[in-house]
Amino acid sequence: MATSAAVLLLRKQLAELQKHPVDGFSAGLVDEVNIFKWEILIIGPADSLYDGGYFKAHMTFPEDYPQRPPKLKFISDIWHPNVGKDGMVCISILHEPGDDKYGYEKAAERWLPVHTVETIMVSVISLLCDPNDESPANVDAAKEFREDKKKFKRHVAKCVRKSQEEL
Amino acid sequence: MDNDRSHDNLKEQDYLKDMPNHEFDEAVNTMQSSIQDEIAASTDLLGDKLDISMLKNEYSADDVQYQKKIQNLEKRYSHVRKTRGDGNCFFRAFGFGYLEHMLSDKKDYPIFQENASNSFQKLMDLKYPSFTVEDFFENFISVVNSVKEGVSHTELLNTFREEGMSNYFVVYLRLITSCQLQSDSDFYQNFIDGGKTLVEFCKTEVEPMYLESDHIHIIALTSALGACVRVAYMDRGGDDLSFHDFPEDSQPTLHLLYRPGHYDVLYPR
Repeated sequence: MATSAAVLLLRKQLAELQKHPVDGFSAGLVDEVNIFKWEILIIGPADSLYDGGYFKAHMTFPEDYPQRPPKLKFISDIWHPNVGKDGMVCISILHEPGDDKYGYEKAAERWLPVHTVETIMVSVISLLCDPNDESPANVDAAKEFREDKKKFKRHVAKCVRKSQEEL
Repeated sequence: MDNDRSHDNLKEQDYLKDMPNHEFDEAVNTMQSSIQDEIAASTDLLGDKLDISMLKNEYSADDVQYQKKIQNLEKRYSHVRKTRGDGNCFFRAFGFGYLEHMLSDKKDYPIFQENASNSFQKLMDLKYPSFTVEDFFENFISVVNSVKEGVSHTELLNTFREEGMSNYFVVYLRLITSCQLQSDSDFYQNFIDGGKTLVEFCKTEVEPMYLESDHIHIIALTSALGACVRVAYMDRGGDDLSFHDFPEDSQPTLHLLYRPGHYDVLYPR
């Protein structure tokens, strides 16, 4: 029932992003008939370990978007403390508002209806540059990031290479 | 029975404890949205106008305190219109109630319309993203303008009963409230406890959907739109109802009933 507002806002955003692309990512639909599922191609930021990589992710919007946040899931393999092994991105801006359960995420960074795909992606890209190993979704990656940077870098480099081959 | 339930709760907590953080969040969200789905299935966003005496049935006959308060309520008010208890009830009750009032009495309309129109620029001045805010604003102002253009009572009611339109309206009222708080932060900062800055308060307690409203939200929204609202408080405190006007010493045009955690619209006799 809430769908029509969501559809209009998503169409508007998609058109805008295709007309005026934003640095760092590009956006399209997974399937032309479904405006609720986007395919995002994230370009590994130049000043990060992910430089040179092209990572595919799917952003899925709920019917009552923008009252509730979308979910973001990497389709390409990616090794990052805040991306689960299933590809789910765990970032505070995509969390529903509510009490802070762990005390180290700034509540002000949680989901708000004014957020756009662009503001989400800006946060995700900055997360690639600067992982948050205090609230990991991938505990092994976080441990490596903290304790064995060399191994972590090798792991990431492998994903970057794989993403280039798959492109 | 109660023992069974607390045992289940314990099991549930154990189960949650072992989850990684993001799965825990996910599980909590799923639980919350299933509770919200239940509420949604059982109440309209905005109900029909009911005779005020209906409230009596909601409390047991030997609940002397509430039955007496309801009797007093009956002396002043003839009807009540209920809203869904989804955390947005104050904003929805205010939005519909105020526009409904202005359908029949246009006196307050010009000032309301002017404040409503100016709100967009104020949000832009605070550097809100125009892209999304514009979308909410356009929906909001078209509903506000429809009152002047002679929308029927049924059409207005349908607008507030249709989830998309209704929630968009609430999102924008929340933005107006947030904007007002930030524009007069020296004043409002004094009301905020818990060590949050005013901006943090706005981002965590005002702008997100489905979060309940407090005094401070009502003060900010009514002063931003130049609206006068009376809230009748019916709770376990005291022997009689208490009333509060926003702003103080104003002639209220919209009346709301507050029961702990919830607002409904009241219609004076």
